[in-house]
Formats: sequence, C-alpha cells, structure tokens
Amino acid sequence: MFRLFAIGLVLLAGWTVYLDAVVTDRFEGRRFEVPSRVYARPLELFEGASITAGALERELQLSGFHKGAGEKPGSYQRNGGRFLISTRGFSFPDGDEPARKVSLAIAGDRVREFSVVKGKAAPIIRLEPARIGGIYPAHKEDRVLVELGQVPALLPATLMAVEDRNFYDHFGIAPLSIGRAMLANIRAGRIVQGGSTLTQQLVKNLFLTRDQTLLRKANEALMSVLLELHYEKDDILETYLNEVYLGQAGTRSIHGFGLASQFYFGQSLRDLDVHQIALLVGMVKGASYYNPRRNPERATERRNLVISEMEQAGLIEPGRAARARGLPLGISERPSYSENRYPAYIDLVRRHLARDYREEDLRSEGLRIFTTLDPAIQYAAEFAVTDTVPRLGGSESLQATLVVTSKDSGEVLALVGGKDPRFSGFNRALDANRQIGSLIKPFIYLSALQRPERYTLMTPVLDKSFTLEFDDGRRWQPKNYDGEERGEVPLHKALSHSYNLPAVRVGLDIGVDVVAETLMAFGVDTPISRYPSMLLGSVSMSPITVAQMYQGLATSGFNTPLRTIREVTDASGKALSRYSLEVEQVADPAAVHLVQYAMQETMQEGTGRSAYNTVSRQLTLAGKTGTTDDGRDSWFAGFSGDLLAVAWVGRDDNGATALTGASGALPVWSRFMAQVPQHGFSPVVPDGVNYHWVNTRRQALTDEYCDNARLLPFIAGSEPTQTVSCSGTLERRIRGWFEGLFQ
Amino acid sequence: MKIKTTFRAGAMITLLALAGCASGPGGGIYVPVGAEPAKAPEPPRTSGGEGEAPVWRKSEQPDVEPAEQKPPRTSSPSYSEAGDGLSPAALSLVREADGLLRQGDISGAIAQLERAQRIAPRSAEIYFKLSEAYVASDQLGSAEQFTLKGLSLAGNNTRLQRAGWLLLADIRRARGNVAGASQAEARAAAL
Repeated sequence: MFRLFAIGLVLLAGWTVYLDAVVTDRFEGRRFEVPSRVYARPLELFEGASITAGALERELQLSGFHKGAGEKPGSYQRNGGRFLISTRGFSFPDGDEPARKVSLAIAGDRVREFSVVKGKAAPIIRLEPARIGGIYPAHKEDRVLVELGQVPALLPATLMAVEDRNFYDHFGIAPLSIGRAMLANIRAGRIVQGGSTLTQQLVKNLFLTRDQTLLRKANEALMSVLLELHYEKDDILETYLNEVYLGQAGTRSIHGFGLASQFYFGQSLRDLDVHQIALLVGMVKGASYYNPRRNPERATERRNLVISEMEQAGLIEPGRAARARGLPLGISERPSYSENRYPAYIDLVRRHLARDYREEDLRSEGLRIFTTLDPAIQYAAEFAVTDTVPRLGGSESLQATLVVTSKDSGEVLALVGGKDPRFSGFNRALDANRQIGSLIKPFIYLSALQRPERYTLMTPVLDKSFTLEFDDGRRWQPKNYDGEERGEVPLHKALSHSYNLPAVRVGLDIGVDVVAETLMAFGVDTPISRYPSMLLGSVSMSPITVAQMYQGLATSGFNTPLRTIREVTDASGKALSRYSLEVEQVADPAAVHLVQYAMQETMQEGTGRSAYNTVSRQLTLAGKTGTTDDGRDSWFAGFSGDLLAVAWVGRDDNGATALTGASGALPVWSRFMAQVPQHGFSPVVPDGVNYHWVNTRRQALTDEYCDNARLLPFIAGSEPTQTVSCSGTLERRIRGWFEGLFQ
Repeated sequence: MKIKTTFRAGAMITLLALAGCASGPGGGIYVPVGAEPAKAPEPPRTSGGEGEAPVWRKSEQPDVEPAEQKPPRTSSPSYSEAGDGLSPAALSLVREADGLLRQGDISGAIAQLERAQRIAPRSAEIYFKLSEAYVASDQLGSAEQFTLKGLSLAGNNTRLQRAGWLLLADIRRARGNVAGASQAEARAAAL
C-alpha cells in the first residue's frame, strides 16, 4: 500500500516536473514575443509651425493625450485656439525629449506665441509620436496585443467581478468555488457551472483541449498552481486578456480583447464604453452562444446581466448602469480584424522593412519603427478620397488612391489604397499598375527643353495629325482628346493644355529612347516600352512610382528617393538602421524650371484649372492631368510648395469610365490640397534662367503692357533676339498703369 | 590632413553665411485653410492682380524702380528670387547639429539637420550644413549632391552662392575632379 503510494507520489512528482516545464515554456514563449511598434512621425511644435487647431487636437488624442487642465503629463487644455499641453517626454533614437509644459495659440493655421512654461526651454519641441500599428506575432491569426497598463481599468475589474472575484487572493484554484460548482452540477445531473479561476481558464486556453474530463481537470488545476508559483498575478491577467477566445471569423479564431474590440466594434479597446466592455466580458462565457451578430437578443440579455454585476460590485453608478442597459449593442456592420488604422501605409512600411529585416524579427523582437506618416495629412487624404469618390458619379466599382509626399524630403506622408481606407486588401497605391496617359508629357518636354538651342517654352510646335507607319505595315495615328487640330501652338501651351499631337511630334523628334532615359533618371524602375505610343503614356506604373517620378520635377531636378521609415531601433532604443535623406541631381534645374512654369500654367489656364473651384487662388500649384483610353484611368499629379500628391481614379477591372484626369482624379487631389495649410509653389529661379516679356505669336521680346505679352523664363542664350512693340503704345501704356493702380 | 584644412575654409564660409542670414521673402506664400476657398470657378484672367503679391517680379523690385511696383498683372506662374531664410526653430537645430559635429557625433548631427530640413526645406543653408556633415563622414558623393541642392535654392543671394560654389570646389577637388573644382571656383570668383 505504502509502496503503491510512494510510486504514485514519484509519478506525480515526475508528472508535475513535466507539466512545470510545459507551463513555463509555453507561457514564456507567449509572453516574450513582443510585436514591433510602428510610430507616426512626431509632431514638431515651434513658432510658425503649420497646423490647424482641429488637426492639433486630433494629433494629441492620437498620441494618447487626455483633455483636461493640461497640468498632468499626457494631458492638454484647449480654449478655442489656445492650447496648454503637458508632454510626457519620449526617448527618440536621436535623443531624449524631456517632459515639458508648453503654451501656444493657433492663429491663421500656424502656431503662435509658442513658449515652454515648465521644463527645459527650447524653441522647438517634439510630441510623443502616435502609435499607428504593430507588426504582430501571428499564430495563424492576427493579434492586437494589449498591455495591462493600457486597457481601461473597468475591463479587468468587470472580468474579475463576473468570472473570478478572488483572483488576486487565490493560488490558482479556488477549492470553494469548485465545491460549489460540483454541488450544482450534481444537482443538475450535468455540467452547468465551471467554477474555474481566470488562471484555470487561461491554462485551458493555452495548453489543453476543450473536453471536460476529470483527468484534464486535474491537469488544469495542477498547471494553474504551477503558473501562479512562477508568475505575478498581473502577468497572468495580461496574458489572459490577450488569450481568451472571443469569436470566430471563418477559419480564424478571435483571441484577446484587443482584437475582439476591433472585430466587433471597429474600435480600439481603450476607447470602449461601459456597455461594450460588458458585452465582451459577457462573451467569455460562450463566444459563439452569445455571438452578438448572430444572436443579438441573447447577447443583449447577457450584456445587461454583466452590467448589473458591475453595478453590484460598485464599479459603476446605478444611473450609468441604467443608461448602459438602454443602449443598443453598437456592433460594427462589418467585422474589422486589425487595429491597423492605416493598412495601406503599414503595408508600404513592411515592404521597406523587408529589405533589411527578417519577418520573424519584426514580429517578435519588439523593434521600434519610426515612420514618416503624418496623421493630419493622412486624415485629409482619406477624407478627400471618401468624400469625393461617391460624388464622381458613374459606377459603384469606381476606386481611387492618393499618395502624398513631402516635396523636398521625399517622405511619404500619407497613403490611401482604395476608397475604403480601413480595408486592408488590394493596395492600389503600390500594386495597381496602370497606364499613365498624359502624365508622361512633362518628361517629353523636359527632354526637349534640355536642348535650349532647339526648344524653348515659346517654340511653335505643330498640332496637326499625322500617321506613323511601322516596318511591319502597322499604322499609328494619334489624335487629340477633343479631336481638334490647332496648327502651330507655343510649346508651353501644348503642355498646359495637354495636346497629344505636339507631344508625340516633339517626343519623336527628341527620340523615344531619350524620353525613356529621362523617366529612368527620375526613378522609374519598372520596364518602359520603347514604342512611340509610350509618348501618349502607354507605359504602366503604380501611383507610388508616379509620385517618385514627379518628385524630381517638383524639386528642380533632384531625385529624392521616397522613404517611409526614418529609423528603426531595438526594444531598448538602440538604433539599428537610419534611412537618411538623399538627393541626386538628375536633370538640368534650368530646364526643370521651364517645365514647372508650364505645369503652373496648367493649373491657371490649362487642364487643371478647375482645381481652383476648390482651392484658394492664393495657393500657387503646379500639376498635370492624365487620362487613358475610354477613361480607364484618371490621374492627377501635382505639387504645392510643401507637398506632392498623386491621385488616381479608375476601376479594378480596368473598365471604361466617363472620367478624365480633370473630372476624376483632380477633384480628389484638389479636395485634399484645400484642406491642408501650406505654402504655395514658387520655385527659386535657377542660375542661368532669365524671365522676359515676349509675344509668343511673333516669337519676339515685347513690352510688358502689350497685348499677348507673357512673362516667360528662358535658359540664358535661348531668348529671342527680335523685339516687337505694340501699336498705340502710349495710350496702352497709360491704360496699363491705371489698371495696376486701381486694383 | 590637408583635406581637413581645406574643408575648414568651406565650413567657415558656410557658418559665416548662417550667422548673417535673416528670414528672407523667399518661397511661396503661406495659405491657411481657414481662408474661404473660391466658391465659383474664376475665368483665366487677362489683367488684374491678386490681393497680395506672392513674389516680387524682376521688373517690380522696389529698390530698382519704385514707380513700377504693382501687383502681378495676370495670374501667371509664380517664382522666387531666393529660397527661405532660417526660422529660430530651424536655427536652433542647426546649432545643435554643429555642437554634435564638433563632438564627432556625425549621425547625431545629420539627424538634427534632417529635422531642420523638414521644417525649413527651402533653405540653402541647411543643405550646405548637411554637405558639411557628409564631408566629415567622408561621404563626398552625398556631400556634393547636397551642395548642388543648396545652390539650387541660393537664388540671387550672392553670399550663399559664393559659400556654395567654394564648398563645391573643395569637395570636387577632394574627389579628384580638378576641372570641376576650378569651374566651381570660377563661378565663385565671378560673383
């Protein structure tokens, strides 16, 4: 008997040691897989910084600041345009930003009266950057890991009130509860009560199968005690919050409150209200039985029961409980799987990271990734797309993308991958390769204008149809969009009005290869066809490639590689990689300046002029429309003094639409530009460029107040030598002066 | 060693330029969104100016011919004679970068200069300072490109132009491009 007992004891001891190894191994593995954290760019605050009061408040909230008196770190106070902000301080890769209290006013969409009230004085400070996502460990399912310190305190409190009141006091199992449950089960003749502690539930979730056998129960109890021996209560609770099973989406299971909050409410856990917390906690008992989408009545009943328990436990006031019980479930229509607010942007970040990091390191090493995303710009970009696309008319299947970069740094500030910016599917901004149409024309004319002895902005080019016959007998006869032919037009007008025939003629004169080389110099890394039809944009590119290509036009011929990441550090803050600003001169700044002139003219007189229906006239802009056959692609690429944006509108199936670049993409683009405070485009005149008043029809210098006088930039030496004066000189001059005087 | 002393001259000049610089008129005008956007499409204008002149035109330089000063006659494409000056915020970052550079923390200096570049992207001085930092880290190719970028924003500011061309000459010589260096020097001398 004794021997049998001794053998049993040894076996039990061995079994316990085995279980202990299992418990610690699995638990550690789960706990220490820390996802990489992705941050937006930090907001820099200084006298004159460009931001609206609304955008500043949104930014503060996104960075986790609370509205209040602005005295405690991490809080702010707003009175109209006045802000008092107490920052928390943050450890950036390039140094620590101490906690400070700053006072400022927003007037005319700029920061004014900036001063540091408390803390180290500085003319410029950085806010803690907003966390915009993570790259999570995936055990076949996405996870939105939460930390105990970040969840609303009501959640664990409710969970304990409902599931395990003595969680902080027991040692893993609660014999009394088990006894009670057994009694109830015996009375009922079946299993009606669990009596499991949170620890036991976690053990069951992590290590065991779902069947209810005695042996399994014994293992569960033993492992629970072992888990409690090794780990703190808070660690166990945090892991529970991230492990608990809360639903099913097809073959994927929904684990953890963070993901469930997204899945059911489309909201972040920290923003949940009382009735939503109650529902999630209620679902712990049976996620499928109480599924609020399938069984809303049952779920509501269960939720209200939890609310009553919260009230009884003193977690909420009776009034608040009553209000919460009266609320609808508030389930989002469509399940959303990730806390990732910016799926298209994070997708681009991941692709950039993939060049230097292994996927498993990103998922588990707790790296900190500092991106260039500007939440205010992203907000404006998403709004422009979601607000404009439904108004464009036509088919439901119309899609749109918008890429926004910082003109001089090449940082990608915002990315919208489709008309539903939260949808993390096909990322059109990166993967939709579409013909670019007339977006190619600035590069044709740039190639030409780099030969000032042959081409100036004034050079007459022929707007007249012609037929190109290839060796194999095929014929190509390009046409203008409107079918008209205008004879001789000055080059600047041919570009600003996007006439096809002069563009093809100039392109053929310069050479298709030369144009292709220009495109490659400007950063196009996709193959470019060398057929003449490429001169009308039969080359396909993604919106992000177009943005890269236009970067050089916007910055006077300096190719600036697009970046989404500034820095990557390890979990302790040690820098791993820096992605620095790079510039490379790829074209003659003088020739680019001339193209920029015509692209400004596009906005003022040409195909882009309807932008000023939406945008203030004060904002000088430059840009280019693009349309492909049957309106399959509607493009607009353009820039201000600060920003470059590329908009595309079309259908995924490449079907025809009734849109042109000006009626599809331009409204999206202008809607975006109109919402962002910024500087107008006003390029510095490069060395070797001079402005002259000219009469383009007569190909001659003329007087400022003559009819048809236009102030055009010329590369030194290419300006006309002849001068024409206009008739009725004196009278006209006097009139001209008065016009100026009485404006 | 010789390269270092040569560059010191360039750096000095850049510093001098920085010390003397003030916020110029440059760049495009700032347009807040608070301003009421135009409600109806405006026809392209043939005459008449806007409320505020975005830039001074060559023919309208007040110090040359004050009588000619008037708003732009047509809504014609805009241009500037010079890039932007440095705001106190940007200047403080540049000074911080200078300090880091002196301590030999080149990547720290570049990080601060890139911060400055983001808030003052049209200021030639920042690009010259970046060039200086890349010279210090012996990345002369990058240094040359940043100098060119700075020069593209120097406009009619002869002090900045001279600093830029001399810096470029130094860098080109260090890279073994003697002809390019002489060319840059000639440009500086011609100012």
